[in-house]
Amino acid sequence: MDSNKKYWKGLEELNKTPEFVEKNKNEFAEPIPIEEVLSGSGLSAKTPRRDFLKALGFGVGAVTLAACQKVPVHKSIPYLIKPEEVTPGVANYYSSTYEGQAILVKTREGRPIKVEGNPNDVFAKGGLSAQAQASVLDLYDVNRTKDPKIDGSDAAWPEVDAFVLRELAAIAAGGKGIRIVTSTIHSPSTLAVIADFVAKYPTAKHINYDAVSYTGIIQANQNSFGKAALPHYNFDKAEVIVSFGADFLGSWISPEEFTRQYVSNRNSKSLESKKMSRHIQFEAGMSLTGTNADNRYPIKPSEEGVALLSLYNAVAGTSLAGSKKLSNKAIDNAITLAAKELVAAKGKALVVAGSNDVATQTLVNAINSLLGSYGSTIDLDNPSKQFAGNDQDFVAFVNELTRGEVGAVLFLNANPAYDYFKAKDFTDALKKVRLKISFSDHDDETALLSNVIAPNHHYLESWGDANAVEGYYTVVQPTINPVYNTRQAEQSLLVWSESPVKDYYTYVRNTWDKGLLAKGGLSGQKGWEELLQKGMIKTAPLAAGTYTFGHELNAVAQTILDHSASLVSGDNFELQVYQSVAMGDGKRANNPWLQELPDPVSKVTWDNFAAMSLSDIKKLGYEEGDVIKIEANGYSVEVPVLAQPGQAQGTISVAVGYGRVSAGPVGNNVGKNAFPFYSFRNGTLQTTAVITKFGKTGIISPLAQTQTHHSYEGRSVIREASFTAYKKNPAAGSGNEGEHKDYNKTSLWDDHDRPVYDWVMAIDLNACTGCGACVVACSAENNIPVVGKDEVKRRREMHWIRIDRYYSFNDHGNSEEAVTKEKEIAKLTNFDNVSVVHQPMLCQHCDHAPCETVCPVLATVHSSEGLNQMAYNRCIGTRYCANNCPYKVRRFNWFNYWNDSRFDNYLNNEHTQLVLNPDVTTRFRGVMEKCSMCVQRIQAGKLKAKMEKRPLKDGEIKVACQQTCSANAIVFGNRNDKNSEVYKALQSERTYYVLEELNVQPGIGYQVKVRNLSELEA
Amino acid sequence: MRSFSFIFKQFSRSVLLIVGFAFLGLSAAYAQTDAAKGETIFKSKCTACHKIDQIMTGPALGPQLTEETDDKYLIKWIQNNQALIAAKNPKALAIFNKFEQKAMTTFTDLSDADVSNVITYIRADWKTIQDAKNNPANNAGAVKAEEGPSGLVIWGLVGVIVIAFIVILVLNKVVGTLERLLLKNKDLVIEEEAIAVDEHGVAVDKNVLLKKILKNKKLVFFILLCGTIAMGSWGWVSLWNTNVHTGYQPVQPIKYSHELHAGTMKIDCQYCHSGAYKSKNASIPSLNVCMNCHKVVKTESPEIHKIYDALGYDPKTQKYDSTAAKPIQWVRIHNLPDLAYFNHSQHVKVGGIKCQTCHGPIQTMKEVYQYSPLTMKWCIQCHKRTEVNGKGNAYYDSILAAHDKIKKGEKVTAAVLGGIECGKCHY
Repeated sequence: MDSNKKYWKGLEELNKTPEFVEKNKNEFAEPIPIEEVLSGSGLSAKTPRRDFLKALGFGVGAVTLAACQKVPVHKSIPYLIKPEEVTPGVANYYSSTYEGQAILVKTREGRPIKVEGNPNDVFAKGGLSAQAQASVLDLYDVNRTKDPKIDGSDAAWPEVDAFVLRELAAIAAGGKGIRIVTSTIHSPSTLAVIADFVAKYPTAKHINYDAVSYTGIIQANQNSFGKAALPHYNFDKAEVIVSFGADFLGSWISPEEFTRQYVSNRNSKSLESKKMSRHIQFEAGMSLTGTNADNRYPIKPSEEGVALLSLYNAVAGTSLAGSKKLSNKAIDNAITLAAKELVAAKGKALVVAGSNDVATQTLVNAINSLLGSYGSTIDLDNPSKQFAGNDQDFVAFVNELTRGEVGAVLFLNANPAYDYFKAKDFTDALKKVRLKISFSDHDDETALLSNVIAPNHHYLESWGDANAVEGYYTVVQPTINPVYNTRQAEQSLLVWSESPVKDYYTYVRNTWDKGLLAKGGLSGQKGWEELLQKGMIKTAPLAAGTYTFGHELNAVAQTILDHSASLVSGDNFELQVYQSVAMGDGKRANNPWLQELPDPVSKVTWDNFAAMSLSDIKKLGYEEGDVIKIEANGYSVEVPVLAQPGQAQGTISVAVGYGRVSAGPVGNNVGKNAFPFYSFRNGTLQTTAVITKFGKTGIISPLAQTQTHHSYEGRSVIREASFTAYKKNPAAGSGNEGEHKDYNKTSLWDDHDRPVYDWVMAIDLNACTGCGACVVACSAENNIPVVGKDEVKRRREMHWIRIDRYYSFNDHGNSEEAVTKEKEIAKLTNFDNVSVVHQPMLCQHCDHAPCETVCPVLATVHSSEGLNQMAYNRCIGTRYCANNCPYKVRRFNWFNYWNDSRFDNYLNNEHTQLVLNPDVTTRFRGVMEKCSMCVQRIQAGKLKAKMEKRPLKDGEIKVACQQTCSANAIVFGNRNDKNSEVYKALQSERTYYVLEELNVQPGIGYQVKVRNLSELEA
Repeated sequence: MRSFSFIFKQFSRSVLLIVGFAFLGLSAAYAQTDAAKGETIFKSKCTACHKIDQIMTGPALGPQLTEETDDKYLIKWIQNNQALIAAKNPKALAIFNKFEQKAMTTFTDLSDADVSNVITYIRADWKTIQDAKNNPANNAGAVKAEEGPSGLVIWGLVGVIVIAFIVILVLNKVVGTLERLLLKNKDLVIEEEAIAVDEHGVAVDKNVLLKKILKNKKLVFFILLCGTIAMGSWGWVSLWNTNVHTGYQPVQPIKYSHELHAGTMKIDCQYCHSGAYKSKNASIPSLNVCMNCHKVVKTESPEIHKIYDALGYDPKTQKYDSTAAKPIQWVRIHNLPDLAYFNHSQHVKVGGIKCQTCHGPIQTMKEVYQYSPLTMKWCIQCHKRTEVNGKGNAYYDSILAAHDKIKKGEKVTAAVLGGIECGKCHY
């Protein structure tokens, strides 16, 4: 049974707008203007023959002259004294830590070129986020602060030290406060350094400040259980997950870890044992987590509190004072249903909320306590230390500044001039401070206001450690000498506190020797070396205790209701401010890889936007791309509108992390800053607000959105099934309920011999969350150029792997809304109830590849290992292959991105190009490229086996996208090996091949998406 | 009778001569043996700390042994210097203190004869060194004389060719004159010639010759044909060889000789090019590899001093100054384009291919030149011919088994295993 469900990537595709239809006719949106030349003044002009001869003569002459160039002399410069561990041409790996997560850094000839997950990492077990993948590019950012500065002019370090010491002494003598403002620090050594500094200057105080904070949760735990901590969530132990606006797969606390945990209950292995967790999401804007939910209900921010109260009542069987029924009946039903399921899964249930409101989180604690989550799905005894920021502290700090009580402020990895909600108050108050020191490695917004910039090392140049979760200690070690004249912030603090330990490396060693090494059963120099090799130690976790919520809830309920009421003001829209998966809080805004990574949900690059529901847009007469002015909390921004299916009606969502003005040429003025929409209420920063005014500005700013690029002209590529159907028949929805259809009965083409290896892939659509880490990993591995917003708008992005995100209308529950045919779409009024499937799409390495047969120069041919090869130097750029590719995965180099001043900000400079993988060529203008299945890794893996004189092991070769996937959605291997993981995965009943009816024999099998719909709905 | 005595005289003379020469030679040989034996011992035991003309860990032995003529003392010192120091021999103490009381290794295993051989060698060698210093002109002369003959040979050859050409011309002229004489004898005077001779002289004569040649259609066609073929093949060859740099032999910053190191000294290639076994790059050795030997060997050579300069090394104080260090910029000879991936370890370690297969007779190259064309055709030809040697490598077991099933009995070359597919080198 082939599903007749309708899938669509964007509304233009759904509605078949003329523009979309026109653009979709051609592989390339903008044809070469040959027609114009021919019909215009070209050939029909008066003296075409003479002009032709002139041009010909000039051309031949110019080419001849250009070719008369002497062959360049290449110099080869060996090391003077080669470090023992370096062999030119062989990569070295060093363990290190990215934001508390153990990683491996790949270096070549002493320069880090890629960051990879450490398979022993407790968070993602080898998976890594897009941001971590992209972090290596920041090291080579030419816009980093290259020298320390005093009052804006370059200075030498001794000058800086003398100046700072003199000033600090004077300030301490005057009795004025000294404040160290940092984003959350969990590094034991850094905390010790700060403690030393505070000991030296008794007026000093350390303030944790997170741009996006979790104060609400920490405070709620303090109120509920007397433990001010961020708990460690165990999504892998949860059978029923209900989330209220928590984007735990995309941006909430520890997304990579949660992805791994979450998927472990939904992947093939789990399905085979007939188990699958249930996930219900209530949220306003469509988040990455929402797209993965089994059931997703759009609710307004003002309804969230009421919904939670209803859930509490339903779970507890009580009725809290003031609680009322939700006005939206469907949501109310959903809450009742969710409560039933949660109670049924008692002890294996989990409720999370993304809100930063203490009262809301206290209520969530109460629900979780009733569900017996503590000790199983929530662990308060091994808390997470990833976020410790306290909003109250920072607000109090700004007040101190205003009162002129502070003499010196040091900013470490904190940029409040950009991300504090009342930046103006803060910057005004900062003027009263005598000494302002920024450790920022960029001249960011706060650094520009400082007297002293003491640029910190990039983390790949630093020593250090981290303790992101109780009992998990990781080490940071440098993988390159400092590129610029920078100094590690901790080192600066040591110098300024006149510590007896003169360098930070010794300091870190001491910290570890004193106690941390012993925790991992290590000791001495040998222990330290072992630690550096492994990268981390993990102590046995403390037993997770159960906690019971025993407080009165009526006051809490009242606070929640008041808050909800404050968000309702007539018919005004409600605003939700969120973090996008790629940009997060905007600290890495100057990273072009992240800017060009399409947002997992909206597929927008290089911008933030106002996400609105389609019905609202229709009602208001807006068009996508219209710039609207939104006013809330006394602040306004102008951002383009985006029609977001699934967005709750009457709400607008805007992402933070954009609108930097001093991030660097890449990140400056990309999008608008949404941090000022925050408000401070009940001791925490709130991410929701009432929009007091909004309207069209008349400006149109089209978004660089990739969602409808590379379309299939309506062919069906997605297959899904419900969990109930899967349990009855594992092949449900895969199109092979009976048996695999053999499309290969009659074929024009001979089969290729693949005697030894047949490299193929299996992608589990049920594991893929669509986060996009693979896209960045692929860019880093394969030297994929960044093209910029303008080129993305022309559909010229170069990513070899893309994540196609498909919407479909839910055909469950409301039978009258089941949409299967195009004509029914027009009748729809409610576009909010959509479900989403993410599908990673890359070259399928077809055995009967249509691209191969049309290449006039045999630049793309098949290998005896099942790979579809691309010989760039043979390619003459006819682009026939791209036209003939049914999967639309071939990319054309419109420019020489590596040597063209238009791309200066991205990768066209000698310094940034040091990040390139030397085993992969960069492609020239006029050449086709596509996924090579990381052939360089295949070759390297085979060579390693040959040199060690042993057969190749399954799983030894990992392709870049597979390696970084925390969800393990991608399996790669040799199909000829019947014991290989990939062979087994492809034998699964769920496996189908995209467009297999074309008989192109793709080499990548997809596994059907399974949705665990509730019994009532399925 | 007379003839017999004559023969005898001749015979006895030659016998005497031979005996005489033999004696001379033998005595000379015997005299040399002392020094030669000494040299062997010197090189194996002493060079780690001593040089003849320079102070190293120990004193410069040339001047030291010229000053010190008491061989008996020397023998004792060399065999067991510790005993002499312990006995507080004043001479021994003086030198011991001069060299910061660094103890010299004892050589009790050396016989007196051995030690005196060493001393003989050192003195002889020191003498030759000083002679060389005193007569630098002699050396220069020798070098010039060495270069001379090659030039002479070339000029001689040119001369021969020129003479041969003249001979051909003269013979031609003679043949022509004879032919004309013959015709004259037969009263067949050619009219044109008669006209040409009468007024305008030589100039007209030449034009006439040209015209005559041009009239010969066969000749013109032949010359044109030859020209076309020559130009065509030249063009063809040079176009095919665009960017092929076989024979490329740039001047290197240091006159390093592979002939000496790899040929004469038989140093293993991997000693310096250690990457060839484990990396895609064979790698040019870093200078610390050079210094393994050249801290001691040939320290006076100006070429070696280039290494010292690059490292910031002072041979006198034996100290490194990293601030003065500046890397050596070798000129790369084998330039594979970026679009082609080549891995040395695959070929050297896995394939077991000799360096010479691609780099040519490297052990005879004073200066390295590019031996192979490094074209794709060249790569592919080799991949098509070379049989894969999978013996003893478990990696190939299953692979060769799989191929055996398909192509029974045929050679399994690199190409059969996919070695000529695009994606093996181009990615």
